[in-house]
Amino acid sequence: MLTTMKKKIFLAILILTPLLTIFISLFIGRYPLTVGEVLTVLGYKFGFVEADLPLNNINVVWNIRLPRAILGAIVGGSLAVSGASYQGLFRNPLVSSDILGVCAGAGFGASLAIILFQSQPFFVYLFAFGFGIGAVVLSYLIGFHYHTTPTIMLVLGGVIVKAIFSSLISLLKYIADPYEHLPSIVFWLMGSLATARYEDLLLAALPMTIGMIGLIAMRWRLNILSMGDKEAQALGINIFFTKSLAIFFATLSTAAAVCVSGVIGWVGLVIPHIGRMLVGNNNIVLIPVSISIGASYLVLVDNLARTLTGSEIPLGILTSLIGAPFFIYLLKKTKGRGW
Amino acid sequence: MIEIQNASFAYGKEQVFNNINLEIKKGEIFCLFGPNGCGKSTLIQCMLGILKLTKGMIMLEGKNVAQLRPFEIARKLSYIPQSHEKPFPFKVMDIVLMGRASYTGIFSLPDAEDEAIALDALEQVGMHRFKDKPYTQLSGGETQLVLVARALAQKTPVLVMDEPTSHLDFRNELRFLETVAQLVKTAGLTVVMATHFPNHAFYFENNQVRTKIALMNNKKIVAQGFPREVLTEIHMSNTFNITSKVVSYQWEKGHLRYIVPLKTY
Repeated sequence: MLTTMKKKIFLAILILTPLLTIFISLFIGRYPLTVGEVLTVLGYKFGFVEADLPLNNINVVWNIRLPRAILGAIVGGSLAVSGASYQGLFRNPLVSSDILGVCAGAGFGASLAIILFQSQPFFVYLFAFGFGIGAVVLSYLIGFHYHTTPTIMLVLGGVIVKAIFSSLISLLKYIADPYEHLPSIVFWLMGSLATARYEDLLLAALPMTIGMIGLIAMRWRLNILSMGDKEAQALGINIFFTKSLAIFFATLSTAAAVCVSGVIGWVGLVIPHIGRMLVGNNNIVLIPVSISIGASYLVLVDNLARTLTGSEIPLGILTSLIGAPFFIYLLKKTKGRGW
Repeated sequence: MIEIQNASFAYGKEQVFNNINLEIKKGEIFCLFGPNGCGKSTLIQCMLGILKLTKGMIMLEGKNVAQLRPFEIARKLSYIPQSHEKPFPFKVMDIVLMGRASYTGIFSLPDAEDEAIALDALEQVGMHRFKDKPYTQLSGGETQLVLVARALAQKTPVLVMDEPTSHLDFRNELRFLETVAQLVKTAGLTVVMATHFPNHAFYFENNQVRTKIALMNNKKIVAQGFPREVLTEIHMSNTFNITSKVVSYQWEKGHLRYIVPLKTY
């Protein structure tokens, strides 16, 4: 076991890495600002500097780059932690945060709102969040039998619900106005943080944070749930309650993440594995590490998404294009670590 | 310690066992013995509260198991499964620590005391050198000993085992039986063990461990008592349709009994 000092240093690294990534992304963007200008804005906002600054500089740094980076970090952390939790819960390392159909549900909700309410952000969030949660509840009810939720039934429930909502998304795409609505739907489904503003941030950050904190708090129980229902119960766990609670927290954070950022693949599946290779499979360590890596990773990739080309590249495309080579590198380097 | 009264269990309409009565006393090894599908594992899962009896009750130190909560049962009975899937390469220590779950709240982590207990349990089964190894790299015998350590970390008066030696080789099976016998003798534990091997019961009896055996067949308990009383050629013939011989041999510890299967019919 780690000594207290080492633990503290480790914790500090976990917290500082995403913060540092957020800080760095304030300097990155298409609007040309020097390092000094960015620092002046920060100093001004924190009250260290009294200056007459161009409004544009403040807007770019404080109202565009900062909320976007913060949102990216919370979304990345949420997707990664729910992925890691579901992998434990379903005793299957190939499971991602989307296993119970939250993305398909949210995608359908968002598409519906884009068509019905002309892409008004509030309704898009609301519908995406609502249908995301609805999809999970449906999967859960399908998998629910006599006060227990057999893993395989839940997975099957997820598959069914995903199939239904995917077809419904296709249907909406088919009937959507090809000039006005269809591009918005397609773009939404590819994932982006471009719409981030403080109002959205506040709205979505709450459920994501609750979900993350909940999963951090019960992370040792995830170890025990991964022993399977029988053994977990014999170890003294109320499996029905514990599983339901874990699904609740994971759904809260994923649904909120998806509703503000669209469908961002890869993070919920592979970030936990990067964590597993770095620190092992014990969820006591893995859960916080997944959050930290997921948060830093998504902010990093978002920086690339908005600077690589003249117009923005959808985030969902880049997450896997950049993550895959890194994952292969780690796989070779750690020899998979015990798998 | 454990009293099973008029216990019946059915999956829907399919009766698994019917009207079973057993009493398991403190400090003994109680073997449940019978052919495949006779309901041993089901009975064990009912004891652990994983399945609920359709009729009758199981009393655990005077309390009805059906009315106890999972953590209350887990502080009395620990479980060593027949086979264990390893979904993730946890470290041996992480596995043993899980034995402390029933003493830990849903939002808390095992503390230093739990770690000390887990380490102690690993030492009791002689596996402490492996504590930082991924348990996916252990052999079947070593895995089973780690699961015993996990059960010991649970600090329960009773260990419940479901065919715990089915995947072990010759030496590891013996090592496992030795460990169990040792735990009953020195730590005063009670062991309930479902088994396919009548000679397991004889092994314990030959080594002066207080052993009882119940023979299950056709959804009922056919006979129960000391192994020398229950494991007779007649019973083997009626239950398994085989001819067998019980051989007895005098050695320094007294009688050495063994059952030798000869022929099916």
